[in-house]
Amino acid sequence: MHIHKDLKMADVIHLNHHLLPVINRFGIQLGFGDNSVEEVCQNYGLNLDFFLEILNTFHDPTYFPLANLQKFSAKMLIDYLQKTHQYYLEEKIPEIENRIQHLIEDVAFEAQHLQVLMDFFINYKNELISHINSEEERVYPYALALERKLSGKVHIDDELILSRNYSIRLYEEDHDDVESKLFDLKNIIIKYFPSPIESSRFNSILHELFELENDLNNHGHIEDLILVPIVEKMEKELAELSDKV
Amino acid sequence: MKQLRILLISDSFILREGVKTLLSLLERPYKMEECESPTFNFNRLLTKLKPNVVIAKPDMLLPYTVLPRKNDENGQIYYVGLTDDHTPTKLKSRYDFLLPIGEDKTTLLQLLESMLSSTGYLNEKPESNTLSERELTILKYIALGNTNNEIAERLFISTHTVMTHRKNITRKLGIKTVSGLTVYAILNKLIKVEELQVIKQENK
Ligand SMILES: [Fe+2]
Ligand SMILES: [Fe+2]
Repeated sequence: MHIHKDLKMADVIHLNHHLLPVINRFGIQLGFGDNSVEEVCQNYGLNLDFFLEILNTFHDPTYFPLANLQKFSAKMLIDYLQKTHQYYLEEKIPEIENRIQHLIEDVAFEAQHLQVLMDFFINYKNELISHINSEEERVYPYALALERKLSGKVHIDDELILSRNYSIRLYEEDHDDVESKLFDLKNIIIKYFPSPIESSRFNSILHELFELENDLNNHGHIEDLILVPIVEKMEKELAELSDKV
Repeated sequence: MKQLRILLISDSFILREGVKTLLSLLERPYKMEECESPTFNFNRLLTKLKPNVVIAKPDMLLPYTVLPRKNDENGQIYYVGLTDDHTPTKLKSRYDFLLPIGEDKTTLLQLLESMLSSTGYLNEKPESNTLSERELTILKYIALGNTNNEIAERLFISTHTVMTHRKNITRKLGIKTVSGLTVYAILNKLIKVEELQVIKQENK
């Protein structure tokens, strides 16, 4: 079932509570009463169509946001993507790291094995950070500069950014998935970790990993399926403009 | 084992969805194409999909007096008829198997599984996932940071063979990355943490 504007916001959460961090990223807090999705968007001054597209891609991984792509600005999209990055780096990752760390401190005799898990996770964290950094330093500024250029509101550095001959093609080609390592970590804990004790704490770590993986998956999806086409379209427009000149 | 390829023919939406649900409950891999039109071009679909099993509402295949028995790859095609109390016996006789759609879920599943098994196209349940001696050795080398070439040289086998082993290891363990394999190797005492640290230092 797709999420549409007339559903009550509360029912949306009953339907899929994993959407909670997603709506938080839009600044929406709990306590929606009987407000519909449309009303909540009005109250928070959000673009309803955009909100629905994001919710639906998250809710249904097979949902393909085809229609109305051009309605969304790169700015709007990138705001959301950056908030998501922030959520990973400031909430999710530290949360998982803490949980593993506490486990290491509490369970002395498995400490060495746990340390191996921790090393793996730290490695993963570093990879994620550099993935995110390269997006925020190269890809997003490029998309934003393009958009400002097309709307005639160029910033000082925009010409410089645009003169670098970057193209979204490059991003599309080597935008790697950051989830496979996470998948491995999950599988190791589920299948191979030799410690039956402290199961409930492993459960909560696993739970966090599942959530993070799922969120990253969706995030990558949005980058590939919404951001890339929007930027491609702008590149075309700019090329046509400069052809005319 | 050949891949199970199913052609599903029925003008009834509910019936098609029902068959698809049953198939997914079998939890075996298959490829499927479906067709709802009574005036479809059966032969074209046969060439395109090369099905080895055709599941159909019997009246759908009425216009075809002869049902092709071989697909383009020269494999046998089996026909499963979705029958009910009103299906004429004459029609039923054209089918290799009959699936009476009025049956309950358990019966339907058993029937479908046993008929698909007897075609020989249904993949067996996955093989055991324990690693062989050879795979364990190779896993150890991978975990210690050796490249495919290095492993091939040490074990006097081709790089290609190493890669095949690697694929099998990854499939059996469900671990894709090298660092994941390393953690596995440590947890299973194939290598020691200290060995890794030695390597890390050497690399520096
Ligand atoms: Fe990202
Ligand atoms: Fe990304």
